[in-house]
Amino acid sequence: MDVLTSLAGGFATALQPEYLLFAAAGVTLGTLIGVLPGIGPALTVALLLPLTYSFDATGAFIMFAGIYYGGMYGGSTTSILLNTPGESASIVTTIEGFQMAKAGRGGPALATAAIGSFVAATISTVAITFFAPVVAQAALAFQPADYFALMVVAFVSVSALVGRSLLRGATSLFVGLLIGVIGIDVLTGQARLTFGVTELLDGLDIVVVAVGLFAVGEALSVAARLRREQAEVIAVKGRAWMSRDDFRRSWPAWIRGALIGFPLGSLPAGGAEIPTFLSYNLEKRLSKHPEEFGTGAIEGVAGPEAANNAAFSGVLVPLLTLGLPTSATAAIMLAAFQVYNLQPGPLLFQNSPELVWALIASLYIGNVMLLALNLPLIRVWIKILEIPRPLLYSGILVFATLGVYSAANSLIDVLFMYGIGVLGFFMRRLDFPVGPVVLGVILGPLLEAQFRRAMSISQGDLSVFVTRPLSAVILTFAVAVVIVPYLPRIIARLRGRRSPEGRLVFGEDD
Amino acid sequence: MNSGNDAGQGLLEARLASLVVVGLGIVALVGATQVGPGAGYVAVGPVVMPTIIGLGLFGLGMLLLVRATVRPDLDLARRVAAEAAASEWRTPGLTLGALVAYAAALGPVGYILATSAFLPIAASILGSRRPVRDLIVAVVLSVVVFIGFTEFLGVRLPAGLLDPILP
Repeated sequence: MDVLTSLAGGFATALQPEYLLFAAAGVTLGTLIGVLPGIGPALTVALLLPLTYSFDATGAFIMFAGIYYGGMYGGSTTSILLNTPGESASIVTTIEGFQMAKAGRGGPALATAAIGSFVAATISTVAITFFAPVVAQAALAFQPADYFALMVVAFVSVSALVGRSLLRGATSLFVGLLIGVIGIDVLTGQARLTFGVTELLDGLDIVVVAVGLFAVGEALSVAARLRREQAEVIAVKGRAWMSRDDFRRSWPAWIRGALIGFPLGSLPAGGAEIPTFLSYNLEKRLSKHPEEFGTGAIEGVAGPEAANNAAFSGVLVPLLTLGLPTSATAAIMLAAFQVYNLQPGPLLFQNSPELVWALIASLYIGNVMLLALNLPLIRVWIKILEIPRPLLYSGILVFATLGVYSAANSLIDVLFMYGIGVLGFFMRRLDFPVGPVVLGVILGPLLEAQFRRAMSISQGDLSVFVTRPLSAVILTFAVAVVIVPYLPRIIARLRGRRSPEGRLVFGEDD
Repeated sequence: MNSGNDAGQGLLEARLASLVVVGLGIVALVGATQVGPGAGYVAVGPVVMPTIIGLGLFGLGMLLLVRATVRPDLDLARRVAAEAAASEWRTPGLTLGALVAYAAALGPVGYILATSAFLPIAASILGSRRPVRDLIVAVVLSVVVFIGFTEFLGVRLPAGLLDPILP
């Protein structure tokens, strides 16, 4: 089937009034939750996941696409006005964005972030439309050994590139793997690591883990500091709009940000942190006003925000075509697919084309809605930032409990969630990134399944992973991901100079 | 290295954390020995994954311990110490206590009453000084959520003590 025909079919579904309503609800809720300080898209999706259980799959995913994009738009508002990035990919936005807000240019900063996100997300959605079916077609030839190798790349890049230290990232990942292995082994029916607790036989749900880590963990660590710190909200004067000069400086940065973000986001080594940092450095180098960087340069908001949104859209490519989530948010999206008994991967495009194309069409629609929500209505969202902290975090705890409780009406799940929240509290305190835990929980069982499948095919011969050319190439790439951050130091040492301190570091945690 | 003292507390916490990671590794390894072999032939049994994870956590914990003792990461230690200095235990402890009580009360007392009590209590633990406002917010929020979930989303929430008067 021709791509444009399929897309038209998708629009025909997504433009039905009922589904338009779902999309509108999704983008509004996504923005609403995403704009709350300290809440990133991952938690937004996890909290709202149980809300969609009563809908049909198409409606649920249209709503999800809206929540996903809405959470991102909302996140940029807190980065700019509060200096509180909701997730790691927004950290760069705070550098220039918060300075602009302090200098009374919050309006243009919010406008360039919103329009840049729209431009980048639209470019990326067009790229998904044409690129994803091609990848899905190619992925039909993938063997379990290749999937295993791809997941190794995802694991390695998450531990190596996110957070300050490979060791700490890997530890977080392994904690996630440990949580993921709890429960009945699907292949043999054996209970694993349940230690006789019946409630653990089904394993820990990804929503329990993600809400615990992100919501309860965050609320507890804010609680520990709340009495000693005051956050300031910066008032926005004037309209959220840009002058001609702002626009002239922003649009090349948007395009460049999108062009950096989408390809890097769609690699299985994905994540949105690296593109935002690359975009920031590129804008700094290309700018005609380099002296403004650090004191509120508009390119420094426009480029990274565009890169962030483009990378987030790019992440949907491996998610939809390979079933491979490369960020915490994507991991939760994958869990949502599993709730509906859908297995993202090459076959999704063949088995459920209506759903996939309705989802892609709703990405276009959601973007237009978000632009409308975020430019004229930005003042409404800023009001949310003025909710007093004690009330806000108590409310987050209420919704976290509601999200987990309503999914299964189970008290024990809620208590597990609180326990994981305590884990998240200590991880934050001791500077362990929490994103890799979520990824480990969802990817661990998938990795194990592909590993076992590959080993059954090869009848227990481990060499299958290096003798198949494709998986060998992918595994080599994984090794490169570990080594590359250390390259500056290695090169310096080879040249006999004193080594520069540390390694390249891209993001903090999710 | 002049600020070794501030770093001391941070290093201690980092060491404890590394021991916890080693402990998790041991838990996984012990758990792996309790897994039955399962019937029939499989190329890779159910024991393999927990064993790899256990070994991995054990090894990573040891490396973290080395990093916190032999060649301390002073930068990290100072950051952790600063975090420790800026925070206290009472507020998160009380918050967690209130949370557990809230979860336990949900079923017997019902969603609306439990939430109406929890939200103002948690807010006051977190430093709110306006209990009446908090209570009003809590009642409105819990009633809206309850009706929204049960009537429109078809998700059952416990009515509890209010069961006789709720729709």
